Amino acid sequence: MGTKRSWEGQAVVKMDSTESASPTISIFENFRDELDEHHDRRERIIKASRDITALSKKIIFALQRVRTTGQPIPPNITQENDARLEQIHKHFASIVTDLVGIKSCRYQRQISGGVQEFIEAISFDHYLRTETLITHAEVVARLPGILVTEEDYLMGIFDLTGEMMRFAVTALSSGKVTPTDAAKAGVLVDLRAIRARCEALSVPGRHRAFMYKDLAKKKEVMQNSVEKVERAAYGILVRGSERPSGWTPDLSAPVEVDTH
Amino acid sequence: MIDQRIFEDLQTKIDEETTVRDAGLRRLFSQGHTLPLLISPVLDDAAVEILAQKQEVLRLKAVADQHPFYKYNALWTRELQNLVTSIELCAWLGGLQEHKGLSSASFLTIEEVGKFLEIPVNLKEEDAFHLTIEEYLLALISVVEELSRLAVNSVTLGDYDRPLQIGNFIKDLFAGFQLLNLKNDILRKRSDGIKYSVKKVEDVVYDLSLRGLVPKGSAAA
Repeated sequence: MGTKRSWEGQAVVKMDSTESASPTISIFENFRDELDEHHDRRERIIKASRDITALSKKIIFALQRVRTTGQPIPPNITQENDARLEQIHKHFASIVTDLVGIKSCRYQRQISGGVQEFIEAISFDHYLRTETLITHAEVVARLPGILVTEEDYLMGIFDLTGEMMRFAVTALSSGKVTPTDAAKAGVLVDLRAIRARCEALSVPGRHRAFMYKDLAKKKEVMQNSVEKVERAAYGILVRGSERPSGWTPDLSAPVEVDTH
Repeated sequence: MIDQRIFEDLQTKIDEETTVRDAGLRRLFSQGHTLPLLISPVLDDAAVEILAQKQEVLRLKAVADQHPFYKYNALWTRELQNLVTSIELCAWLGGLQEHKGLSSASFLTIEEVGKFLEIPVNLKEEDAFHLTIEEYLLALISVVEELSRLAVNSVTLGDYDRPLQIGNFIKDLFAGFQLLNLKNDILRKRSDGIKYSVKKVEDVVYDLSLRGLVPKGSAAA
């Protein structure tokens, strides 16, 4: 075999980095590969989580067009949402292998945004159809291979109260539900029950710094939501006859807290 | 209808997690401070301390192995990093020689550290207690910082040879760190500081050579 030469005719000495490298270099090249693998995986998960969040939000918007509880969701809305759910499951399926075993906790923070939004969507759907709260086990069953922590579940339920609030206020102001009925059964009663139970949960301070970081903020938003429905029911009962047709209660106070 | 049991289950889970967390905390807290390793006679004392902490690590491992690794890893990662830093410093200064493997690197590789501490390293599938690559690299960065201090202090103590050895060693590590594709994370932030340590030692070496104080036949001559 001839020697490789540059165009001036000198022999080209191949600069082989692995041959002349110090042991440190090859050790760090190995670290680089490992870290690259980690960063790539992390980014794949973040991307899937964002897509899942966006699709879940669309499902929730569609569900807000529903006007009844305890009945099947109208077929036109079901059709839209089924397509979205299918896409969501494709996204989850695409990262299941990135989240097996030890990786499930490692990347939990990256996927949890998507999981929580998904819980909000399916729990709202579940509530509208059955007038009951979806359980943690039911959520887990819908996400095979994905770690759904109790924290994810709880945060999803907090967000659910915001949707229930919107739903209740719209129902009240449309005049289909009278405030007195609302105070006896239905969304307002359930919202109060959720609020009471969530307030009763005790999360120790040190635990809070480590997990359940958004707890205080989410709890406040949830308390707000419940009160809004209570005020709306009151307002319609007291001033109902004075209210111009088409008027809806003011929902402009801070409600949504986006957490990622 | 809201099923009350849902919330009772949640409370049980929260209580459970708090207990685990407290147990983990007690293990290593207040013990993992970097050991004073500035003068060589303390190497033996340091080795004794390190071996004692190794026992603590094994106790921690016994508890941590029962839970998902990354769930509680943040509780002990700093202390474990400090311990690895102490081990590396001690070894670089000539201690713990019997634990140095056959590798030609001038520091203990992650595998050697794992073997010394009797813990696995860089587990990618199995969910068990181990030393991660990130922790190991962060520990090495602390070694670099600590040695750049030692370079200054050894001149003060009349040792003009050591700064040259330190300079060569941390430049070697610096070249290694430059190979990594780092994202905007703690590793990136900490490794950005290595160049200042390198410069600090180079300044010392420069001062020494300018005044003809570099010993003949030394590493950088």
